[in-house]
Amino acid sequence: MGFWWLAWKDLLLIIRDRKAFITLILMPLLLIAILGAAFGNMMKDEDVTIKKFTLGVVNQDNGVLSKVLTEEVLAKNMSDQIKIKFFQERELQNNIRDHKLDIGIIIKPDFTSALFSGKETKVKLLSVPDPGIKPVIVQSVIEQFAQMIPVQAISVSQQGKARQQNDFLKTENLFKESTVSKKTKPVGSFQYYAAAMGVMFLLMTVVQGVTMMIREKEETVYQRLFLTNLTYSHYLIGKMLGLIILCLIQAFIIIIGTSLIFGVNWGPSVLGIITMTIAFVINACGLGMMAGALIKTEKGFNVGGMLGTQIMAALGGSMVPLYIFPDWVVSATKFIPNGLALQSYLKLMSGATFTDILPAVAGSIALGSCFFAIGLIFLTFERRGKYA
Amino acid sequence: MDLLTVRDLRKSFGQFQAVKGVSFTVKKGESFGLLGPNGAGKSTTINMITGLFPPTSGEILLSDVNVVKTPKQAQKWIGVVPQEIALYQDMSARENLKFWGRLYELGGKTLHNKVDEVLEIIGLSDRAKDKITTFSGGMKRRVNIGAAILHNPELLIMDEPTVGIDPQSRNHILETVKRLNEEGMTIIYTSHYMEEVEYLCERIGIIDHGEVIAEGTLKELRQKIEDRSRMNLTLEHTEGNIKRITPVLMRLFSEKDFQIQDNQLTVFHKQPQMILSELVQAVTETGTRITSVDIVEPNLESVFLHLTGRNLRD
Repeated sequence: MGFWWLAWKDLLLIIRDRKAFITLILMPLLLIAILGAAFGNMMKDEDVTIKKFTLGVVNQDNGVLSKVLTEEVLAKNMSDQIKIKFFQERELQNNIRDHKLDIGIIIKPDFTSALFSGKETKVKLLSVPDPGIKPVIVQSVIEQFAQMIPVQAISVSQQGKARQQNDFLKTENLFKESTVSKKTKPVGSFQYYAAAMGVMFLLMTVVQGVTMMIREKEETVYQRLFLTNLTYSHYLIGKMLGLIILCLIQAFIIIIGTSLIFGVNWGPSVLGIITMTIAFVINACGLGMMAGALIKTEKGFNVGGMLGTQIMAALGGSMVPLYIFPDWVVSATKFIPNGLALQSYLKLMSGATFTDILPAVAGSIALGSCFFAIGLIFLTFERRGKYA
Repeated sequence: MDLLTVRDLRKSFGQFQAVKGVSFTVKKGESFGLLGPNGAGKSTTINMITGLFPPTSGEILLSDVNVVKTPKQAQKWIGVVPQEIALYQDMSARENLKFWGRLYELGGKTLHNKVDEVLEIIGLSDRAKDKITTFSGGMKRRVNIGAAILHNPELLIMDEPTVGIDPQSRNHILETVKRLNEEGMTIIYTSHYMEEVEYLCERIGIIDHGEVIAEGTLKELRQKIEDRSRMNLTLEHTEGNIKRITPVLMRLFSEKDFQIQDNQLTVFHKQPQMILSELVQAVTETGTRITSVDIVEPNLESVFLHLTGRNLRD
């Protein structure tokens, strides 16, 4: 149980360092207030509200699936966002070229048969040069629709009974999980910066913890720790535990503080926020432990670690809004702890539920555990090469 | 009964062999001095005995516990006082002792009582609540020792515990170590201060270039220099004087009886007063001026110098 006392000692030392403690708690609240006020007008509700638009449709497929997609899914279920208008191919192209219509789709003749047989099919998307978010909405609805068909087709064949195609195509809510839900709420500036700054400051706390860890490694006290009953795994667990507790204290002060002082709405799912915060802290602290195990000198960490943190903060959306990055960058940043956490917080703020962020929670914990394991392996092997 | 057995211990770091087959034993309740200049392999040997890192080959047994195979089991019985202060400076003496005690799995009332007892032993009960950072070097060293004896170790290994402290603290530490040894604790003591080792240790091992070059009681080691005293002559450094003096000395003494290092001439002799005038005359006749003469009775330093050809603090 030595790791508990190691964690306790680390917490005691950091709490006694008044300067560090104030930096960890007051600075985030202050910076969130400044940034929130400065960018207050950039992310107002109307900027992200999706207005209803007309979608031109060319349906070359005589099958049932294209009918369901256009008449049931797009025309009926999404009637609040989309108005459907049918065209011939040439007619659609002309309308778009003349900017009479912003966006249209051409459904190919093999659409239904390809989906039923699990083959790939394509829907051609035509749009004006600057269509805004419309293609994303249409694309995600069609993708969602197409993904559901093969799954249902398999389930039918496994039952051994060939049901009428119409039976399962009547299945409701094909795009239930669509990100373009009517329930989705826009995220305001204070909300964005509360999450972004919170995530960044947590990252900085991890950096501070790792700095302390590396500093300790350079002192004789580190060797003395291993002359006691403390093992390498307990050492790393203790270090991580102390840092996790510290980060959680900081995170909840930021969340509760921004909520009470600035009225930031962190979303309806309290459980989601708590779980995501814990998962992010595990992920970030795991990364910190790996860095602390791999890097031998504080000087080395100051060069590489600090630069890495700044890059992570920038890519993760803590410095500039994630919305300005291309989609592939946003997707790639899910592999860095703060990027994944910020995107999940924004999701929760937009109304996502606890179950919506479970993959992110699992990913965070898995990544954190991997980082921790690498750090532990390195520490154990390092012992063999030690010199007096 | 042997408490510690070290057999053919070797440690290599790449091509460099830091320890080359060190073997010695320490009996239960004994105090054993380990002497060696910097870089001799002393700290590497100690770190392997404490289980901090494994040897390349060799065996270390603490009673019947194999330190190499089960270091954590052995560490329960070993207390280590590192050469440098290994304490948390922003924690008080009591907090430090409690922390280290907890890592040795002490707790509750046992820990509380043990911390009080150790504070009493190291003479810092009145400063228990003060942060280490406010302590003098000597006081820090005392807490450094305190942290190593909390769990009542069978074997206490002290790596130069009196470096850079005031005489008062040094005496306190020596007395504490003496008392712990008298109470039955086995001690391995390394120091640059020969008089400390002479005062504390029943047996001494001299280690140099990764090997134990001599081992025995102080009396046994003195016999290696045949109880000869040591004359130290400081010579004025002039161009080529060593070359001129060497043949003269060869006429007076055998080669193993004298050493010249820099401008320092050392001669070993049973009756130094008898040959001093002859020696001074011979050296002076070569045109070399003698700036000081010092005669030292046979001691551990002489043994060390005789065996290694260098001073312990070189």
